[in-house]
Amino acid sequence: MLSAIRFLTEPFTPQYMQRAMLITLVLALLAGVVGVLVQLRELSFMSDALTHTVFPGVAIAFAAGQSLFVGALLAGAVSSVLLTFATRSKRIDQDSFVALLLAGLFSIGVVVISRHHTYSADLTALLFGRLLAVDTREVIETAAVALVALGVVVAMRKELLLRAFDEIGAEAMGYSLLRIDLAVNLVVALVVVAAVRAVGTALVVAFLITPAATARLLCSTLTRLVVTSVAIGAIGAWLGLVISYDASIHQGWRLAPGATIVVVLTAIFATVAMYQGVRTRALGHRATRSATT
Amino acid sequence: MRHLLDLYDSGVLRRALLEAVLVGALCGAVGAHVVLRRLPFFTITVAHATFPGIVLATIVGLSELVGGLLFVFMLILAIYVVAGERRLDTNTAVGVALAGSFGLGVMLQSTQNGFSKDLTAILVGSVLTVQRHDVVTTFIVGMVVLCALIATHKELVYRAFDPQGAEAQGYRRVLDLVLLLAVGATVVATIPAVGTILAVALLSVPAMTARLVTRRVGTAMVVGAGYGAASSVLGLTASAEWNYAAGASIALASATLFVCTFIIVSARDQVSRHRVLPSVAHA
Repeated sequence: MLSAIRFLTEPFTPQYMQRAMLITLVLALLAGVVGVLVQLRELSFMSDALTHTVFPGVAIAFAAGQSLFVGALLAGAVSSVLLTFATRSKRIDQDSFVALLLAGLFSIGVVVISRHHTYSADLTALLFGRLLAVDTREVIETAAVALVALGVVVAMRKELLLRAFDEIGAEAMGYSLLRIDLAVNLVVALVVVAAVRAVGTALVVAFLITPAATARLLCSTLTRLVVTSVAIGAIGAWLGLVISYDASIHQGWRLAPGATIVVVLTAIFATVAMYQGVRTRALGHRATRSATT
Repeated sequence: MRHLLDLYDSGVLRRALLEAVLVGALCGAVGAHVVLRRLPFFTITVAHATFPGIVLATIVGLSELVGGLLFVFMLILAIYVVAGERRLDTNTAVGVALAGSFGLGVMLQSTQNGFSKDLTAILVGSVLTVQRHDVVTTFIVGMVVLCALIATHKELVYRAFDPQGAEAQGYRRVLDLVLLLAVGATVVATIPAVGTILAVALLSVPAMTARLVTRRVGTAMVVGAGYGAASSVLGLTASAEWNYAAGASIALASATLFVCTFIIVSARDQVSRHRVLPSVAHA
């Protein structure tokens, strides 16, 4: 028992591990809440697109020697506006339009970075973050972004829910769907911005989709969804950090911490999905049998 | 012009051009179905799923192609089964699979030495280092995929426009599996040239452009192949001239071609509308 506790807490003695833990917990909280919104609105593709379209901002800021954070913020704002309009296009198929923006903007980022000497290493750092190298300032920046994004979600919770469950009703009551959609996409973009330093733009999509999808398998009321999703994100972050630390320090296997967290989150989802699959099948058999008798 | 032709004096660039044009044409043709069936998100997921497969294959010592194909086909079967069960929202399952396989790939890669170099090649492609066997593989995979799509063309188009009708006439859902596997194989063949992240660009943008020009699916496949090949030539030439990443340059070229075509088509529509209106007024 004691050794189990030590296994789970010992990794957090070094300062850099404490900071890594803190920043991933902030992310888990933010992405857990926003992830439920993504689930309700079925915006998985949109979130993936935003993770790619924020990238050129980061890349340009990096190449220009400016703050990555500001670059990400600007690109997040611009691309969420572009993507919102893409989903309203009548002329071109929406999914393809989103794919066009995703690919076009992402390649601008790669082109900019590829002019640099240390191309490969830079690209990797920007895509996957440097979780163990975050400093206190970055933790504070992330927390500030999280606060703003959560503030928007809380302030607009009534409109967001109405739009998710009754689009026509919302429009009839005079709400501007464009404004609500823009707010949602901006909030998702803010999650990506918050994640740039820690897990990079490529892995944040796991934080946005997986915990909330797992929660959706387990419960259905909104409060429970949010609580479960945040809890699963936090547990996944903790376990992932512990496993990657233990493997790297004690077993001599290097496991990238951000990616390990993602794999743990996916494993939790797969376990719950299989458990639910077996259970509903068993229940279903019982139900059909009682129906036939 | 002369100067641009001189760029292709080197064997490396000529081989790269051949591979890029093959990939571009193949993706442009297959893309017609990707756009028609709204599969861009699925394509992104498949592309990400090749990543752990390729890394595992290099660790074990298998060919990258085999590793990538194996993982992709497993994922496609899983998605196909989940979508059939209708217990989970398909898009969510696809999203989780996307994020998870990417994480798995990065985690596996991080245990190896020389982390960042190979990672870049897989993520954004490295068309300048393709070998002769890559070109041959792309050609063979392309032929198989195109034959499968041509053989089932009528049925696929029927299913796309009238799923209920097709089902009532006894066409099975297995048809969808043919299409999904064809997209998967195309993605795997594309990765050496443009990488996992940008494969979706070639599989959707040239086909979207073709769709601006024609409404017929068969014609769109041919026109899309032309646009795809043109994107490859333009992109590779620009990247060789100004010295930046080739894969991204090809993707950017395809987006540029789309924007140009869109402007031309819109302008033409505007003109023809003006011409029609007065005659309507006369009548």
